Amino acid sequence: MQSWRRRKSLWLALSASWLLLVLLGGFSLLRLALPPRPRPGAPQGWPRWLDAELLQSFSQAGELPEDAASPQAPHGGSCNWGACFDTSKCRGDGLKVFVYPASGPISETHHRILASIEGSRFHTFSPAGACLLLLLSLDAQTGECSSMPLQWNRGRNHLVLRLHPAPCPKTFQLGQAMVAEASPTVDSFRPGFDVALPFLPEAHPLRGGAPGQLQQHSPQPGIALLALEEERGGWRTADTGSSACPWDARCEQDSGPGQTQRGETLPNATFCLISGHRPEAASRFLQALQAGCIPVLLSPRWELPFSEVIDWTKAAIVADERLPLQVLAALQEMSPARVLALRQQTQFLWDAYFSSVEKVIHTTLEVIQDRIFGTSAHPSLLWNSPPGALLALSTFSTSPQDFPFYHLQQGSRPEGRFSALIWVGPPGQPPLKLIQAVAGSQHCAQILVLWSNERPLPSSWPETAMPLTVIDGHRKVSDRFFPYSTIRTDAILSLDARSSLSTSEVDFAFVVWQSFPERMVGFLTSSHFWDEAHGGWGYTAERTNEFSMVLTTAAFYHRYRPPPCPGIRGSEDQRPPPRTEQGSLDPRNPGSRPRSATSQLWDPGLTSLEFVFSSVKWDGFTSQGWCEH
Amino acid sequence: MSCASGPGGGLRHPLRCREPWDEECEKEAVCVIMCASVKYNIRGPALIPRMKTKHRIYYITLFSIVLLGLIATGMFQFWPHSIESSNDWNVEKRSVRDVPVVRLPADSPIPERGDLSCRMHTCFDVYRCGFNPKNKIKVYIYALKKYVDDFGVPVSNTISREYNELLTAISDSDYYTDDINRACLFVPSIDVLNQNTLRIKETAQALAQLSRWDRGTNHLLFNMLPGGPPDYNTALDVPRDRALLAGGGFSTWTYRQGYDVSIPVYSPLSAEVDLPEKGPGPRRYFLISSQVGLHPEYREDLEALQVKHGESVLVLDKCTNLSEGGLSIRKRCHKHQVFDYPQVLQEATFCVVLRGARLGQAILSDVLQAGCVPVVIADSYILPFSEVLDWKRASVVVPEEKMSDVYSILQSIPQRQIEEMQRQARWFWEAYFQSIKAIALATLQIINDRIYPYAAISYEEWNDPPAVKWGSVSNPLFLPLIPPQSQGFTAIVLTYDRVESLFRVITEVSKVPSLSKLLVVWNNQNKNPPEDSLWPKIRVPLKVVRTAENKLSNRFFPYDEIETEAVLAIDDDIIMLTSDELQFGYEVWREFPDRLVGYPGRLHLWDHEMNKWKYESEWTNEVSMVLTGAAFYHKYFNYLYTYKMPGDIKNWVDAHMNCEDIAMNFLVANVTGKAVIKVTPRKKFKCPECTAIDGLSLDQTHMVERSECINKFASVFGTMPLKVVEHRADPVLYKDDFPEKLKSFPNIGSL
Repeated sequence: MQSWRRRKSLWLALSASWLLLVLLGGFSLLRLALPPRPRPGAPQGWPRWLDAELLQSFSQAGELPEDAASPQAPHGGSCNWGACFDTSKCRGDGLKVFVYPASGPISETHHRILASIEGSRFHTFSPAGACLLLLLSLDAQTGECSSMPLQWNRGRNHLVLRLHPAPCPKTFQLGQAMVAEASPTVDSFRPGFDVALPFLPEAHPLRGGAPGQLQQHSPQPGIALLALEEERGGWRTADTGSSACPWDARCEQDSGPGQTQRGETLPNATFCLISGHRPEAASRFLQALQAGCIPVLLSPRWELPFSEVIDWTKAAIVADERLPLQVLAALQEMSPARVLALRQQTQFLWDAYFSSVEKVIHTTLEVIQDRIFGTSAHPSLLWNSPPGALLALSTFSTSPQDFPFYHLQQGSRPEGRFSALIWVGPPGQPPLKLIQAVAGSQHCAQILVLWSNERPLPSSWPETAMPLTVIDGHRKVSDRFFPYSTIRTDAILSLDARSSLSTSEVDFAFVVWQSFPERMVGFLTSSHFWDEAHGGWGYTAERTNEFSMVLTTAAFYHRYRPPPCPGIRGSEDQRPPPRTEQGSLDPRNPGSRPRSATSQLWDPGLTSLEFVFSSVKWDGFTSQGWCEH
Repeated sequence: MSCASGPGGGLRHPLRCREPWDEECEKEAVCVIMCASVKYNIRGPALIPRMKTKHRIYYITLFSIVLLGLIATGMFQFWPHSIESSNDWNVEKRSVRDVPVVRLPADSPIPERGDLSCRMHTCFDVYRCGFNPKNKIKVYIYALKKYVDDFGVPVSNTISREYNELLTAISDSDYYTDDINRACLFVPSIDVLNQNTLRIKETAQALAQLSRWDRGTNHLLFNMLPGGPPDYNTALDVPRDRALLAGGGFSTWTYRQGYDVSIPVYSPLSAEVDLPEKGPGPRRYFLISSQVGLHPEYREDLEALQVKHGESVLVLDKCTNLSEGGLSIRKRCHKHQVFDYPQVLQEATFCVVLRGARLGQAILSDVLQAGCVPVVIADSYILPFSEVLDWKRASVVVPEEKMSDVYSILQSIPQRQIEEMQRQARWFWEAYFQSIKAIALATLQIINDRIYPYAAISYEEWNDPPAVKWGSVSNPLFLPLIPPQSQGFTAIVLTYDRVESLFRVITEVSKVPSLSKLLVVWNNQNKNPPEDSLWPKIRVPLKVVRTAENKLSNRFFPYDEIETEAVLAIDDDIIMLTSDELQFGYEVWREFPDRLVGYPGRLHLWDHEMNKWKYESEWTNEVSMVLTGAAFYHKYFNYLYTYKMPGDIKNWVDAHMNCEDIAMNFLVANVTGKAVIKVTPRKKFKCPECTAIDGLSLDQTHMVERSECINKFASVFGTMPLKVVEHRADPVLYKDDFPEKLKSFPNIGSL
């Protein structure tokens, strides 16, 4: 019995040992059979093959039979720029646009759009000389649909412009025509061929247009982080403190206290969330842009407006709606620098390309012109930084250094030379003293005398080391602004023969201009003011505390000026009354205009300044003078 | 998995389990062991009754065996190194010929053809990327296998040198993960770089049997040479369902915008030939064509150009009279002249890149490397990385039908632009074409940017050459806005213990109409600020902020209390500025909200004797700094000063208790590239009656210290950002002989 008990304990010990052996051994075996799990932090990568050097290259020299290709015909159905647009017609004068006249009674909108195209520098009345034929298809109100025009030619070199999503069925095959359409779906959009337009609300102003809403660079403290677009219209600002996915219907109830703004009010938040599904939401996109609320597009199914040229990553955020947590976290953690940059870009883009129907149309034409120009198109910088491609014309130059706008932006300085252009009107005395004074300037490169009076040209001119050119003018006042090819410098000093300046005054004014090459820098000032009695703008050259103009009888300015183009000038110059000024006319603020005035006159777009520049030290520039009238 | 289908069972090849990183294998192996242990457990008890009658010695033997076994196992446990190192060796250094073979049955499934309507939001499963930290996708690479058909004939070359390099590059990058469950993107190791080296149907079958294939979702294929004779499709012909394709030679018809990635065709010459960078400028030939095997029609057009324009156009072809066959790829001939290729490309300003059978041509890479501007004549070709690269800056695209006009088109480009393009071309090659690694990483970066667009790389980062990136400024306040006057400004007074002077400053500043708030930064930790009742009564809110440490940086801290954009920094001893002067300064700031607008002007000078910068406070004709003892600036610069000041400048300033104003001048000038504006003629900023004020300002040692600051900051910034100007701003009627009461700012003070 005892031995049995002993045996039993022995058995127990034995079996326990067996079990232990099996367990431990099993684990070891397992480790042997299995490779060890990679240690965290050192992932196993792609193996370094011993014979990696011996591997063959993917392409063997001479293997490619490269002489098989013959020019291919474009595939049917789809079009691209090279295949479906004939640029040979545009060779002479660049882009010339013919617009099909309306075939019946047309709406007011239609009429005014026609007028704005006709006012542009691209317009031509002859379909034969045009390289782009434009077909307006926008009669959403009248319900009338355009029919196929005469010179259709399978749509070649045609642009079908649809400002509003057309209710019209496709009455004719588009063929090779380009389509400029509001918010086209990404599936039907042909990149580099079609043009994506913004979705404009019906009431979008045709010209001018309201400026962006942003009054300050950085967001106001305490402004809501998010505004969500409501399906019924309006915006709801959301508190994002607690909610994980404020735009998701499933967790709507957690979205916390929100404020709903109804109607057409603009959102007041840092970010505006816009659904990417419904094309109508695209109009929200513009609203957000105007309000300086950074648009956050959730998986947009439509092409962003003018995406061919506008770098939207600088003004909007396109995010995937399927990753709400990440997107929200990214918005919350976004650096102030990025927010600041995005906000400013929204305003610039709105003001430059979207604030009026006219700007949208001109931008469309500019995009097409850029395609025709190829290498001499606007570089991306010109499209995407102020003042924008509508004002920095690629026909002048494609290099930012040639324009006055980018020196300060890029921290560069314009060249240190100027050309003086002296306009000699009646009575026609040769401005000998003035020539001497200007020629004495160390920055002067050449002097041009524009002889613009009845008297014959004098035969002798004063002896100066400076190259002197005499141009016989046509006795027109605007002659002095003609871009004479003889002018070789960026800076022009425009002078009247009667002006009297000293050399040091010229020198000083020029160094000031170098610091502000995008401005006119002059000696004589004048101002505009709102004349209550006449209900219009008045002009005064009297000495006041502020001024809004300098006279070109003695002023520096940059050689670049956009060629005469009523459309563009109109759109830039004609702004609505300023938002900031209120109340009655302030004697200290002659430039301000009461808001109540309902006259058709627009603010002339001039800003008044209350300061002048003088030399840091009075005697720095000898005989510092102040121009007397 | 059931144990019945354990080792050797089923279709799996025994070799498979050598794969250390294959998950399937892992599961099988686990199963083997588990089955084995279960068997032992079952047999154990059955053995015992039989041994009951045996001899005692038997027990002892058995016991010692068990003991030995235990010891052996224990030793095994403590011998981990040898096992792992041998394993490492296995993983890291093996031959491509030893990779496991996978047999593909003839009837195994084939994926659907590529879906042309695929977009990121329809065909890409972004949820897989939800776990990826730091806005970086994680990429998994399948293990290398050799695929054979039923007859044992290989489906393709196992892997090419370039594809191996590509996978190595991905594996070495931050994108790589070896955890298939955390991966967002999958890269098969099946090499499809060149369609001609593979069997289409079988390759597709191989793709379909990948463990996470799932209709190709989130799979990325790299292909450089698509299509095959006779029609040469512009995308890979292998059916691939939803897989993303990084392809060389896409046309507009096959490229899925925003889904596929257009990549370059790698030129093996990039690695072989070292072409040193050649500066931009006119070169010997204006236009060169060096492609061989051109379509006769194109060659005729090119030769016509050569006839018309003579010397400046060079059309090369392959050499027929050379005896060495191997060398001929590095030689080109024109009549009997022999040229070295690709060196000859460096002799030309423009280089023709014509379509061949395929749209994507490896010569594009050679041309860029040579700093020659490519003239791309290939209608509908999607240029490499066109989603992010601005090819207008580096190339000229000419429609095929305009080939005869190519010369005049190129001649119309201004010389300055050509030089810009030459630089840009070389930069594109260096950054994105140079190596397989560059191509692979750029591709992944593009996909990464699509998934995390808010963290995407900007246009400038993709396109600007390093020299431009370093040299350019990006003004954080670039929008030309004139802030509304109504907003007003916040005055921030930094003070330590000069209470009397402080109260005078507060009283003076509070008279300025546009002041909207006054903030006193109390920098003295040993002394409490005066009682509330003692402070001057002013019409705007007055807040006192107590600081934790006596640091100069405290004056530039972005306090939440600052609600206006304009900030007036003012010392507690600047009592001489009149209300008109301050209001005028604010008006000037509104016109220049991105600049420092201040009263005391200073200058930096280059000291030729000492060969370093010098600080100048004398009454000179120029200014380059304004002191923040009295200056307006945008509150954003407070944020920049506190959080984005380069190097150790901030600590340096706090340690030296000096030069915070110079640091601010450097910072603003550096980010905006603009000069300061000095307002009003005033020069003296010391009140005659405050004699007690530390005689620092004009002290000689003070000047030396300030000069040191300038030199220190210039070295930290790596440049001298300060801009010198010769003008200051005065009120319009300042100098005019005009009744004082009609002037806006009559009391502007004097020198």
